[in-house]
Amino acid sequence: MSDVALPRLAIEKEPSGLTLVAIEKRGLPLFHVRLSLPAGASQDPRGKAGLAQFTVELLRRGTRRRPAADVDELIEGMGAQLGAEVAMDEAALGITVPAELAQPALDALFEVALEPSFPDDEVLSARRRALASLQSDLDEPSSVAGRALVTLGYGPTHPYGHPAHGFKRDVETFGREDVLAFHATRYQQSGAVLAVVGPEEPAALLALVRDRLRAWSWPSPGAHESPRDFASLPPPPGMRALVVHKPDSTQAQVRIVSPGLAKSTPRYAEAVVANTALGGGFTSVLVDAIRVDRGLSYSVGTRLLMNRHAGLSIFSSFTKNATLRELVDVALEKMHGYATTGPSEEALDKTRRYLAGLFPLGLESHEALAEQIVDALLDGTGLDHLAKYRSRILAVTADAARRAAGDLSPARDGAQLIVVGDAEVATKALGSICPVEVRLLEDFG
Amino acid sequence: MPLDARDFPVSEHSLPNGLQIRFLEDKSLPIATLYSFFRVGSRNERPGITGISHLFEHMMFNGSQKYGPKEFDRRLEAAGGSSNAYTSNDLTAYYEEFASEALPLVLDLESDRMASLTIDDASLGREREVVKEERRFRTDNDIDGMMDEAMSSLAFLAHPYRWPVVGWMTDLDLISRQDCERYFRTYYAPNNCTMVLAGDFDSAQALELIGKLYSRIPAGEPLPSVATGEPPQKGERRSLIHFPAQAPAILVGFRGPGGRDPDSLVLDLVEAALSHGEGARLRRALVYGEELCVDAHVSFGWRMDPGLFEVSLKLNPGAAPARAEHALFAELQRLCDQPLPAKELSRAKNLVRANLLRGLQTTNGRAHTLGQMEVMLGSWRALLDLPDRYAAITAEDLQRVAKATFDARRRNVVTLVPSEESPS
Repeated sequence: MSDVALPRLAIEKEPSGLTLVAIEKRGLPLFHVRLSLPAGASQDPRGKAGLAQFTVELLRRGTRRRPAADVDELIEGMGAQLGAEVAMDEAALGITVPAELAQPALDALFEVALEPSFPDDEVLSARRRALASLQSDLDEPSSVAGRALVTLGYGPTHPYGHPAHGFKRDVETFGREDVLAFHATRYQQSGAVLAVVGPEEPAALLALVRDRLRAWSWPSPGAHESPRDFASLPPPPGMRALVVHKPDSTQAQVRIVSPGLAKSTPRYAEAVVANTALGGGFTSVLVDAIRVDRGLSYSVGTRLLMNRHAGLSIFSSFTKNATLRELVDVALEKMHGYATTGPSEEALDKTRRYLAGLFPLGLESHEALAEQIVDALLDGTGLDHLAKYRSRILAVTADAARRAAGDLSPARDGAQLIVVGDAEVATKALGSICPVEVRLLEDFG
Repeated sequence: MPLDARDFPVSEHSLPNGLQIRFLEDKSLPIATLYSFFRVGSRNERPGITGISHLFEHMMFNGSQKYGPKEFDRRLEAAGGSSNAYTSNDLTAYYEEFASEALPLVLDLESDRMASLTIDDASLGREREVVKEERRFRTDNDIDGMMDEAMSSLAFLAHPYRWPVVGWMTDLDLISRQDCERYFRTYYAPNNCTMVLAGDFDSAQALELIGKLYSRIPAGEPLPSVATGEPPQKGERRSLIHFPAQAPAILVGFRGPGGRDPDSLVLDLVEAALSHGEGARLRRALVYGEELCVDAHVSFGWRMDPGLFEVSLKLNPGAAPARAEHALFAELQRLCDQPLPAKELSRAKNLVRANLLRGLQTTNGRAHTLGQMEVMLGSWRALLDLPDRYAAITAEDLQRVAKATFDARRRNVVTLVPSEESPS
């Protein structure tokens, strides 16, 4: 398998610090624009967890030119929906439209990103909605497990150590001044990337973007914020378990988490191969042992959560109450064994080809293409991360994969076990493995 | 504006055993997707073996004559591919996404399991447990899942849409190896399958290979008829679920037309007007306006037989279900009483057209859409005309179909009532 040629593209950095990316994509007559800003959840001020997410959701609730209902009409009248995501490292806004609507789509995106008015009544209403959503999310066991995972995995004081939607105690304090300050500080050109994908040559796409940008002003810079400290302490030795009590559960959600790697790690290829052979594909060690051989779960897997400055190594599964202990025992035994041996020669070969073969799927849609290229620029991995992905994955050696398997096992010393389910069942099942702490569902809302 | 047929150079083929084949070449990336659609879903089941279509979908990965247990995915992944499948009320679809050079292996794997699937008691026992875990995950411990299940049983009395695709837990324990073998012989014959291959491949070579691998599989007997009868609904039906939850929820279902009925397209636009985007009527009224709900959305999917137009409301903690219902019914009545303004109609059409285009961006999306059109509408060519058919729909059409659908006497309402614990 040879490397995949990236489409024709142009990348230019403006004096303002804004990076422009133009990607040519023929075929369906669609145009996509994506604006990534250094306004992710890791930039939430202390005591204001969830502010980045809250700000993004308010962008479209009124601008200096029109009220919220008219903003909806502006975007959705084109048949578009505004994508607004908050990851740990950035916030991203995106719109996809038929190609003939490229110009109005750009203008609509700039209007919501650069000219939100944050009306008082909309801020209060958004706060009520955010609090209701946080409470409602407690009904979803996997959502609760995900919230507990980042908090425990990174630790509560780490910039990545809270869910993007924040906590009730913090969201309750949000006011208009918080949103204004966050927007002024974080929605700046420096560190931002604006990418467009469409059926035109890159030069023509760049010319269109520059032409539309001239019509808009960026927010006046807010107060400078001191940089975040992403260093984290090593976890204490041994394993600890946290059980989040969800009444009436007939099934337990299980996570096991340890520190992982940042996205820019030079060990990226071997880490991905080692993790995929353990719990990535359908023929991985854990899927084979837990689902195929024992029928203990419908879903089991491991993943590397790679943020820009730090990451986590995560095991996820679920099973009925009666087999919780068996699932944890099998998972720990298999992960401990794999940490020593790494993948077999056959598994290594299979995993390398699996990853290399499927890689182009992530470049197919306009949205995925823009996201991959923008992330490669922002994470500092560069376009070679994509252009040479296949050859790097296919070159991973058995030694490198074995070392990565040992260094990145979710179940290594210091791991934390998280269960969302019936506390009595879980405490009884896990008590002889490690110390167990029981917390209420509401602690994670 | 119709979709440009030049962007969809689909070629149609079939084998003497009845296998339908559709090709769509696209060499822009070195990947391809193969779908095999079988015309069997939970509507082909009967009480006592509910869930067998979905359980059987799992069994299709457990070995055949040439490729034994665990071999299907092991060989596929080693060649740079992955597989998955899904089962609905009406069909079962299997697909592989793969590096283009893996096509001969993919066709060999798929044809081998169609020709000679092996079903043994041990693998059936393990897979049964996996499916029961899936049921616990998607239904028993999931509010949306348990409400969907209650809605189907409430809205349908006689039609097989009455039971869940995943099956009743007690039936899952009853399905035997003999049931599975009978199911395989009946429904997994080539004349009940449409294959769609999209992506980077050569049509002539692929057709030759398919002919070689699939021609040996004999056609099956004609399919048993499906008991599609359903008595007319003569009054509103209601169902309550008591479950530990943070907030109430409401699911309202109205009987709608089948997928081939032109009114289905009208209901697609009604769905867009009510719930696509932040400016949709239900979000404006119930989420932003009265602040009764965290979420309000509509689900209307094309089905073989007349299905359901469903509205799901996730209420704010403490909100009164009666008030949310009242606000919802007022919005539905407004659609019956007044034609949709031109701006809203245009918005709905643009959203539906753009969604259609976005779904065609990937090889998987193109292969899936073509196959769905074949199975649900009778021909992939329906895709090319869809934008024009949506464009021709008028505000009067919407009002007529809304009046026919949102009749309070044919309403079904499932309400989730938060409680300390479920009734034992």
